[in-house]
Amino acid sequence: MRVREAARSLSSRRAFLVGAGSGVGSIALRALFAAEREESIGAIRRGIVDPRDVPPRAKCVIHLCMAGGPSHLETLDDKPELAKIHGRPMPESFTKGKQIAQLQGKPLKAFAPQHPFMRYGDSGLSICSQFAKIGSLADDVCVINSMRSEQINHDPAHTVFNTGSTLPGRPSMGSWVSYGLGSETEDLPGFIVLSSIGKGGQSQPIAARQWHSGFLPSRFQGVELRSRGDPVLYVKSPPGLGRKIQRRSIDAIQALDRIHDESVGDPEVAARIAQYEMAFRMQESVPLLTDTSQEPQRVLDMYGTKGNDGSFAANCLMARRLAERGVRFIQVYHRAWDHHGRVKRSIEVTASEVDRATWALISDLKQRGLLDQTLVLWGGEFGRTPMSQGGSGRDHHIAGYSCFLAGGGVRGGVRHGATDELGYEAVEDVVHVRDLHATMLHLLGIDHRKLSYKLKGLDVRLTGVEDARVLSGVLVDPGAGESTG
Amino acid sequence: MKFMNRFMTTLTSTRHAVASSALLCALSAVGHAADEPVSFAKDVYPLLAESCLPCHGPDSKARKARLRLDLRAEATRARRGGAAIVPGRPDRSELVRRIDSDDPDERMPPPDSGKRLEADEVARLRRWVAEGAKYERHWAYVAPTRSRPPAVRDRSWPRGEIDHFILARLEREGVAPSREADRRVLARRLSFDLVGMAPQPREVESFVADEHPDAYERLVDRLLASPGFAERVAVYWMDLVRFADTAGIHADNTWDIYPYRDYVIESLGADIPFDQFTREQLAGDLMPDASLRQRVASSYNRLNMISREGGSQAKEFLIRYTADRVRNASTVWLAATVGCSECHDHKFDPLTSRDFYRLGAFFADIEQVGVYLQGANKSRFFPPYLPVPTERQVAQRAGIEGLIGELRKTLAESSDGPAAKELEKLEERRKKIDNETAVVLATRSVKPMTVRVLPRGNWMDDSGEIVEPGVPAAFGSLDVDGRATRLDLSNWLVDDRNPVVARVLVNRLWRLLFGRGIVTTLDDFGRQGSLPTHPRLLDHLALELRDGGWSLRRTVRTIVLSAAYRQSSFLGDEMRRRDPFNRLVARQARFRVDAEFIRDTALQIAGLLSRRLGGPSVRPYQPEGYYAHLNFPRRKYRHDAGESLHRRSVYTHWQRQFVHPSLLAFDAPTRERCTVERMRSNTPLGALVLLNDPIYVEAARAFGAMIVDRGGTTTDERLRFAFRRALSRAPRDRELAVLRDLHAASSARFESDREAARKLLSVGSLPAPTTASPAEHATWATIGRVIFNLHETIARY
Repeated sequence: MRVREAARSLSSRRAFLVGAGSGVGSIALRALFAAEREESIGAIRRGIVDPRDVPPRAKCVIHLCMAGGPSHLETLDDKPELAKIHGRPMPESFTKGKQIAQLQGKPLKAFAPQHPFMRYGDSGLSICSQFAKIGSLADDVCVINSMRSEQINHDPAHTVFNTGSTLPGRPSMGSWVSYGLGSETEDLPGFIVLSSIGKGGQSQPIAARQWHSGFLPSRFQGVELRSRGDPVLYVKSPPGLGRKIQRRSIDAIQALDRIHDESVGDPEVAARIAQYEMAFRMQESVPLLTDTSQEPQRVLDMYGTKGNDGSFAANCLMARRLAERGVRFIQVYHRAWDHHGRVKRSIEVTASEVDRATWALISDLKQRGLLDQTLVLWGGEFGRTPMSQGGSGRDHHIAGYSCFLAGGGVRGGVRHGATDELGYEAVEDVVHVRDLHATMLHLLGIDHRKLSYKLKGLDVRLTGVEDARVLSGVLVDPGAGESTG
Repeated sequence: MKFMNRFMTTLTSTRHAVASSALLCALSAVGHAADEPVSFAKDVYPLLAESCLPCHGPDSKARKARLRLDLRAEATRARRGGAAIVPGRPDRSELVRRIDSDDPDERMPPPDSGKRLEADEVARLRRWVAEGAKYERHWAYVAPTRSRPPAVRDRSWPRGEIDHFILARLEREGVAPSREADRRVLARRLSFDLVGMAPQPREVESFVADEHPDAYERLVDRLLASPGFAERVAVYWMDLVRFADTAGIHADNTWDIYPYRDYVIESLGADIPFDQFTREQLAGDLMPDASLRQRVASSYNRLNMISREGGSQAKEFLIRYTADRVRNASTVWLAATVGCSECHDHKFDPLTSRDFYRLGAFFADIEQVGVYLQGANKSRFFPPYLPVPTERQVAQRAGIEGLIGELRKTLAESSDGPAAKELEKLEERRKKIDNETAVVLATRSVKPMTVRVLPRGNWMDDSGEIVEPGVPAAFGSLDVDGRATRLDLSNWLVDDRNPVVARVLVNRLWRLLFGRGIVTTLDDFGRQGSLPTHPRLLDHLALELRDGGWSLRRTVRTIVLSAAYRQSSFLGDEMRRRDPFNRLVARQARFRVDAEFIRDTALQIAGLLSRRLGGPSVRPYQPEGYYAHLNFPRRKYRHDAGESLHRRSVYTHWQRQFVHPSLLAFDAPTRERCTVERMRSNTPLGALVLLNDPIYVEAARAFGAMIVDRGGTTTDERLRFAFRRALSRAPRDRELAVLRDLHAASSARFESDREAARKLLSVGSLPAPTTASPAEHATWATIGRVIFNLHETIARY
């Protein structure tokens, strides 16, 4: 037992954080370790942005990624004018010279919104009636109607949304945030990804690139939490081994590593000892995390889930549990929004999967006092055409689309930006993905211009080299949000 | 404390790059003797690059006031209001006046740029101007020069020319090299470095016992001659060229590419000269009378990610493929950040947007489509393909062809019933052989598509100039008649006059063998890259490589035979302070080995490793549902059976979007793009892989059985056997004590719960016959598993 205590007596947290580095980082950290600069190690634990550039409003981000491209015209963007020209050719003034995906070379006919919109809350925000539960939160959400993307196909559009670039090898926003702010949990990864499929549209593939750490150290990579098999890959010990022998085995590994380290004095060894401790803790904590049997029935009912069944609803509940445990960035993909055909029916199906669960998550966070410090982002990689595809569906659309934000320092009951009267192009307060990134970072206390990483002689940033702006209009406290650049 | 300070600065202000680099420069100036002239490359250029060149550099679009400071002629040109720089006269130089001005309207860089020159930096620039404002051409673009290995005081240490370069620097710095590493350490180091796995115990023992003076040399030669050397280097080459088994975008469909991987392994095994290796990959298909081997090599040009996502714009994707090829080739061979010029002229290096698209035009002849919606058949989406028959298939087919010819002749003379039937059968057999013949994505040259300079990289903008193939203007031009080809490009790369390619290559080999490059920015030999720590050594190695027939194996051999390579990697307190990054090479490096080699080592220790070479990629155990995010079609993963489960990891199926999780946890790259340097992370996810991935449990089972069957009879004998096998050394008493404790605890558990033992022994699919009881076997499997997880097992010292 002496050995185990010795291993534990090492400040495993410190060693974990030190050892978690790699590449240049770990060389740097090694030297740090040698110098025993405690305060600087603290800085690493807290991330590279320390202190924060601006007062933070949010500690954590939950990105509900509506993968496939939700139609803004049947969710968040009310366009009665479009109904008036239903079935007629779209005026060429709207479509000329614009990028088109599957409708290339096909007649472009206006297609009326398929579901009515209603006004909700004191703010009277207009939201599609299929999303009445989200509507009931109108005074808590900020709808952005003027999103624009550069990429008209799923894979590249997701890549831009997550990394700000179409080039492979860039870190995802979750990795950037983890790199910037560090982690607040000792037994879970700081960036976790969940995903579900639905019945309302094609399940477009999602590449792990979307949560890859790119050129940042791989400890900032998103870790998938799965509903089937091991929740975290390889988290389960081999059958028959038993918890006790697993613990004894890890003790032995750590003890032998320590003996070895006496002759080599290599901080990587100390780091590995700590990583094994963390691995063991994860083996204990992950099953507790994913065991939703402790949740009261009314909570399960609120989300509309029976437990950890891999549905979007279950993943929303899991997102709350992760936020509670201090996970920094949580991404929840729902791969159900690619409604090329039968958009009317598809929206009904997908709304039945998404509306209640989204409402439940935001309400639950609010009830627990977590919404103020949690930024919720709901939206997809692009929107859908005001023109019909095949008479009943809508094609991909990047000139204008919608998303919404809630919590974490965002003003509720607000609409930001607008598309033209037919919902084709964002014309007012246009929001590029990099503006959204800048705003998200701002709410987390980070100046997006300063969060950079040296690569090939450049200071590479999530928001890239083009101007990105913090959307002061969506902030509770706009005074600090005037930065541009 | 100088280094520590420097390092702290880097760390704490990574995000405040301006401040950080300014401070770094300040620090480097501290070490600068007052009587030595200011160095342009070290002291001045970094300041210009950071603070001035973004607006007064090579990028013509971003240039302000039509002033260019990266060229001396431009900077010293007479202007209204005075020349920016008047050499020798800081008082008359507008640049000096402006950087020193207190007036915010005058001050440079402008306060609103967020950039700032500190007082000492201003002083340095002033002094540089006073000393004549000397510019130097960037080192990497000047041809390498041969220099006599420098003289050293300690004549006993050097074993070769490399050591003279290393030791001369050490002596200048007053630092002694480290002692030679222990033989067991050397055996492990060589084995990891040269063949990518831990050595066999008998190899270590015979080396340790070998008293001949050439024992080390013979060990090196044995390792270099083994197929493992080619497999090990191939892993790195495949990172560079982004080799993968899938197309990478959207549905990430599988394609047929393994014959190219085998080409790489065979070529490295045969030590094909690197100039030939280069020509064959870039332009094998264009070589006169191209052999099958050369045409397979040219599949390099098909390794870029491609899309078959519906609704994609063909034109956009064709442009992307071209850009991807330019980025890859320019990183692999030139370590040039040409990719920056896709949207604008390079901010720091003499690479224009036009250069980028001219390079792209070399690849314009490759037969391809923008979006691969239709495939040749259901599983082959990415034509064209090249059949790659084995020798046997060629012979068989030729035989059948002959018979068919004869039968046809017979049939032409008379309609013979049996002959007609026979013909049918033969044709059936020929078809069967064709169907069984492997194919590879082919590079086929067709009429080149038009390539234009795209303003800001915008593929929808057709206003740019149409360009023909050409090398970056700053590097000169090609002397060819008519349109230049990929073959011309490859010839230019490996031409004696190319200043960069050989340096880039030896620098990367050095990194494989010392853990860090002589130039640490392995992918950037441009102005923004780091300067070589040993420039003359780099040139020496580059010229040796080039003039010695471009032999990679010979270069590797020369390096590992050096005294520098054989140094201990131990890092004492003094050197940790003095040279934490080992810029001086006063020691060897120590690091965790790459993902593939961790797995190969475990399989090797367990006696499971298959030594079959080449062939289709293999599918190891993989957690169920790992491909659940893939679609079109949905992917059902079935792991292989038998020997294929235990092949070297270089043969693992590489799914770009979902790289095998066990490799990914140890930083295997996605190979979506060129990776010059993998990270070496140390994470809990890595620990979970080694502890729980079935392949490691299966290996532990096999290792456990081996320990019982071959490791003697007592617990201690067996522990010693296991330790020696995995770590190439005997255990210390304290280590034995730890393992004895674990042995007792495990044994107690498995003796009292036979079912638990049986469960553990059921992991994987390998029957591991042993004379041991299940409880005993499970106990030793537990010990084996612990040994696989030790840092020492997976680290190279």
